[in-house]
Amino acid sequence: MKTLTTLIKPLLAVLGLSLAMVLGAGRLSAEDAPKAPVASHGDSHGEAKAAHGGGDHSHAGAAPSFARVFGHRYLTAYMFCLSLCMGSLFLIFIHHLFDASWSVPVRRVAEQLASLLFPWMAVLLIPILVLQKDIYPWLTIDPATDHALDVKKVLFNQKGFNVLLPALVLSWGLIAHTFRRWSLAQDKDGAAIWTRKSRVLAAGGIFYFALSLTLGCFYLMKSLQHQFFSTMYGVYYFAGSVWTTLVTVWVIVIWLKDKGTLAQVVHRRQIQDIGVWFFAFTVFYAYIHFSQYFLIWNAAIPEETFWYVRREHGAWKWVGFTILFGHFFVPFLTLLNQDVKLNKTIMLPMAAWAWLMHYVDMTFNVMPVCFPEGPEFSLLDPVLWFGMAGFLGFMFLKNFGSAAPYPLRDPRLKEAVTHHEIPAAGAVQSHH
Amino acid sequence: MNATGTRPHGILAEFDTTAGILDAAIRCRDAGYTKWDVYTPFPIHGMDDAMGVKKSMVGWFTFVGGVTGFTTGMTMIWFMNKFDYGLVVGGKPLFTPLFAFPVSYELTILLGAFATLFGMLFLNGLPRLHNPLLANARFKRASDDRFFICIESEDPKYSEEATRAFLSERCHANAVEIVEA
Repeated sequence: MKTLTTLIKPLLAVLGLSLAMVLGAGRLSAEDAPKAPVASHGDSHGEAKAAHGGGDHSHAGAAPSFARVFGHRYLTAYMFCLSLCMGSLFLIFIHHLFDASWSVPVRRVAEQLASLLFPWMAVLLIPILVLQKDIYPWLTIDPATDHALDVKKVLFNQKGFNVLLPALVLSWGLIAHTFRRWSLAQDKDGAAIWTRKSRVLAAGGIFYFALSLTLGCFYLMKSLQHQFFSTMYGVYYFAGSVWTTLVTVWVIVIWLKDKGTLAQVVHRRQIQDIGVWFFAFTVFYAYIHFSQYFLIWNAAIPEETFWYVRREHGAWKWVGFTILFGHFFVPFLTLLNQDVKLNKTIMLPMAAWAWLMHYVDMTFNVMPVCFPEGPEFSLLDPVLWFGMAGFLGFMFLKNFGSAAPYPLRDPRLKEAVTHHEIPAAGAVQSHH
Repeated sequence: MNATGTRPHGILAEFDTTAGILDAAIRCRDAGYTKWDVYTPFPIHGMDDAMGVKKSMVGWFTFVGGVTGFTTGMTMIWFMNKFDYGLVVGGKPLFTPLFAFPVSYELTILLGAFATLFGMLFLNGLPRLHNPLLANARFKRASDDRFFICIESEDPKYSEEATRAFLSERCHANAVEIVEA
């Protein structure tokens, strides 16, 4: 019961914060309403227009249609959930690539999370495919009239989008399920060949992972403003994804440890190391996002700056600051102390905070296309976000119960479990 | 005091297995000794906890060094580019934390690293010209195939007879001997 309440508390915190945002945003949009939102598009788009001669068709000036707004809100929630799956897939890759032993007891959590890619993330992709013309303005533009689109039509064409995007999601699902299948096979026979096969898949797959994640992220999120250039965009999404995943895995592992499921195999070391990794990705995310911003700011090329100009306009500026402080400074300073990574009282609210910040980050990427003046929240946001994440969480629990909670016969399990264990006095067989 | 009238450095106990030294370390910790150390040819996992070593303070040196580096970077660039001799570069403002950031960040790392290194040396009382253990013939195997515990005579619980008996009987040391100062 105690663990349940510790889990519910951060959820309530998230709920409360979202509610506050919904209420706060209502006031905000009411204040901004009299100012003509149409006229203000000009400054950011004028630049893109001038550079390409094509013009930005992302809004015709009228308020965005319900389908578009809904599509974008849905996409925000989808990108958040995709983060957790892709981040988990990355944890499996890294585990096998480095022949790690410490992470054996927590690997099954990552395997089960990543396995949500198929069928669930593939199924959840369908609304995006159905609403594609509403969500992605470039799908309704003739490349002949838009230079920016014309030079990118190799990727940004309808056929490419409809074939490649589902193929990417399915391929991730296939990889995740392959890792999981081999891991479960090892539970039965304990053969080292499964570890070896996984390592080979990880060695080759990591390259595919990097490229396909970037491509998927270009299609799903970056193409909302197809004129934008940033080679760092994929890494940027990746950094935020792994960050969110690590804190999620931390929470799940702590919960399973307290519950007793992982009590025998998860020790201080695992908890500490996931926390350290989460800390590292706090810095990595900040480094990547700062670099993207800084390079664009420094070069000051209109094809790139318009993306941030739009995100510094109106209330979006404050969302940007929220990300700067909330996504980096707050977690960074909080996690600086070594002991914090083992402290549930700090880490559970931190997890709720990280989920919120990653959602804000996704909003920052997606929503300015619909709402140039600032975020306009609706109840749909928490409904879609909690709905999707809740559904996936339910499927995760269901899958998790269907297999052993950790790789039972992994060759490195013993090493992971006994390493750093401190014997009590007299417990060790002494010389003589 | 020993026969020659000088206070010895301490008592050295030799072990030949990692299990033996771990067990002995736990016993020394539980017996309440404070001025003692373990010497092994390679790191032994769990030794910190077995010895009851507290978390190092060195992180605070790192933190202060890092903060100093960051502030130095920001202040330096603000002073040079805006305050002392305003210089327009690439049409950018005279000062913004944006372009000052990479330099400040590097200085954070540099001064953080320096503070860590020198803080560690300071906390360990290094550099030190000599340690009486280095003159001990038996101790030479600490870098080869033996494990040692040395309880120093400065320890409040130190007593030549009791400590010696403790190490050989309770800790099952291979050999126990006095280390001259």
